[in-house]
Amino acid sequence: MLEIRDLHVKFHTREREAVAGISLTIRDGEILGLVGESGSGKTVTAMSIAGLLPRKQCRLSGEILLGGKDLLHADRSELRKIHGNEIGVVFQEPMSSMDPLMKVGLQVGETLRIHTDNSPEERKKLVLAALDDVELPDPEAIYNKYPHELSGGMQQRAMIAAAIASRPKLLLLDEPTTALDVTVQAQILELLKKLNRTHGISMMFISHNLNVVRKLCKRVAIMQRGELVETGDTEKIFTDPQHPYTQRLISAIPTRTRKEPV
Amino acid sequence: MKYAAKRILLLLITMILVSFLAFLAFEIVAGDPAQTMLGTEATPERLEAVRQELGLDRPFIVRYFSWLTGFFSGNLGVSYNYKQPVWQLIAPKVENTLWVCFISFILICIISIPLGIWSYNWTNKIWDFFRTAFNQLCMAVPPFFTGILLSWVFGIVLKFFMPGRFPDLHKDFAGALRHMFFAAVCLSIPRIAMTIRMMRSTVIGEMEKAYVRTAISRGNDRKGVLVGHVLKNSLVPVVTFLGQTMAEIIGGSIVVEQVFGIPGLGRFLVASISNRDYPVVQAIVVILAFWVVIAGTVADLVNQAIDPRLRLGGSK
Repeated sequence: MLEIRDLHVKFHTREREAVAGISLTIRDGEILGLVGESGSGKTVTAMSIAGLLPRKQCRLSGEILLGGKDLLHADRSELRKIHGNEIGVVFQEPMSSMDPLMKVGLQVGETLRIHTDNSPEERKKLVLAALDDVELPDPEAIYNKYPHELSGGMQQRAMIAAAIASRPKLLLLDEPTTALDVTVQAQILELLKKLNRTHGISMMFISHNLNVVRKLCKRVAIMQRGELVETGDTEKIFTDPQHPYTQRLISAIPTRTRKEPV
Repeated sequence: MKYAAKRILLLLITMILVSFLAFLAFEIVAGDPAQTMLGTEATPERLEAVRQELGLDRPFIVRYFSWLTGFFSGNLGVSYNYKQPVWQLIAPKVENTLWVCFISFILICIISIPLGIWSYNWTNKIWDFFRTAFNQLCMAVPPFFTGILLSWVFGIVLKFFMPGRFPDLHKDFAGALRHMFFAAVCLSIPRIAMTIRMMRSTVIGEMEKAYVRTAISRGNDRKGVLVGHVLKNSLVPVVTFLGQTMAEIIGGSIVVEQVFGIPGLGRFLVASISNRDYPVVQAIVVILAFWVVIAGTVADLVNQAIDPRLRLGGSK
């Protein structure tokens, strides 16, 4: 459903390419994990799919095809039709990613307001359904709350609700659980699995946490310094990593029997 | 609501404090109203009689409290100079000044907030240079100068109003309003420039925030981002600034009223100070203080309506 062909991204202020020729596909209905350390270019990859890179500040080449349309070279008005409607994005910090002065319900309904002709009543019904989808208790009350009145986990659920409200084909999740504590993290992962199952939304899940990726994703891509070092079935990569970098990453996961290498 | 009540209490305390300080100031400053009224030739007996008549022989604290109780019962005292109730004397002047300030404040709000948002689009263009230069010019030119300029262009050349002849507000409302409008324009020009600059820098700061990226990712266009999200988030510091502005334009109105010949509070205050007409000065000072404190309170309450996070402090 989404195909990245030979993507290069170079910021004018940097010597090295942030993304140096990546080719990657996300299949219909799958959750693809994109793993790498900080600065490996995983967020830049996601932002170029989402069309959120500042185009004046970087040089882009390659192709990103969503249902046959090239997103990388689409103009602004075409991109706006795709934003939120075909691609939803969930960011790392739910608190700062939400407009602090807008009620949660209106933020969740924003994609519907922009992309559909629904009446406000219909919209509210859909928003309440989306809040219910992400398992927020008492959607009616949440609808009228401001972001600061919610906990971090609830905020992230609301952000996910906002991203799925208009049923996009693809959900980009940029480290959505990194800012949350471990129990909430596990709940969010379960929620994402459920949404993937029930709505069939394809997802790209970006993380530096291999354990999280292993729980969620069938397929995983490993990035290092802007390049893709290994792609494949998650279990296979975990049990039999081919690339030395992947091997190092996996051996760095602390387990019950082996202490973390110092 | 609790917070609003607290603010109003604070407002009252501030005003009592201000009135006390104003009273004290005249106690310290040299000058005897009786002497001013009677002239230097007056006999000591006559002076003493007048002092008694004005109640100046009583101790300071007693005089203050009698003034304060009078104030709360709506009696601002009697002018030493005009032998008329103070309120009757200053009411029309308060009205004129408040109108000028009100018009000027409205102009500041309706011009600078949209322009402040709009001028964000001018970043990094040649326009930016001209915008900055024009902005600096507007801030630097003093209102009395624009006042003279406007009086000449719109008063003498175009005859929109008659400079120096201010019509009675109650007899010729439209004429008076026209006159006051130009005074208000002078008063507001530097303030508009300042507010636009402030609004613009706030908008630029807000555009860097993460929620803007979220808004774009949902398909908002530039206008949707600016008006739908950034505007409201940029307003809080601007409203605080506008509150201060509201307080400052009443000070600025003194000069502008002079240029346009509008009989307002400022002119009367200056005259009353030199005449040592304490009851009048006292009343005007308290009215001005009232205005300033109210401006701050209103700004705070508006900010709370805009930003729900500010409401948290009030419930404690």
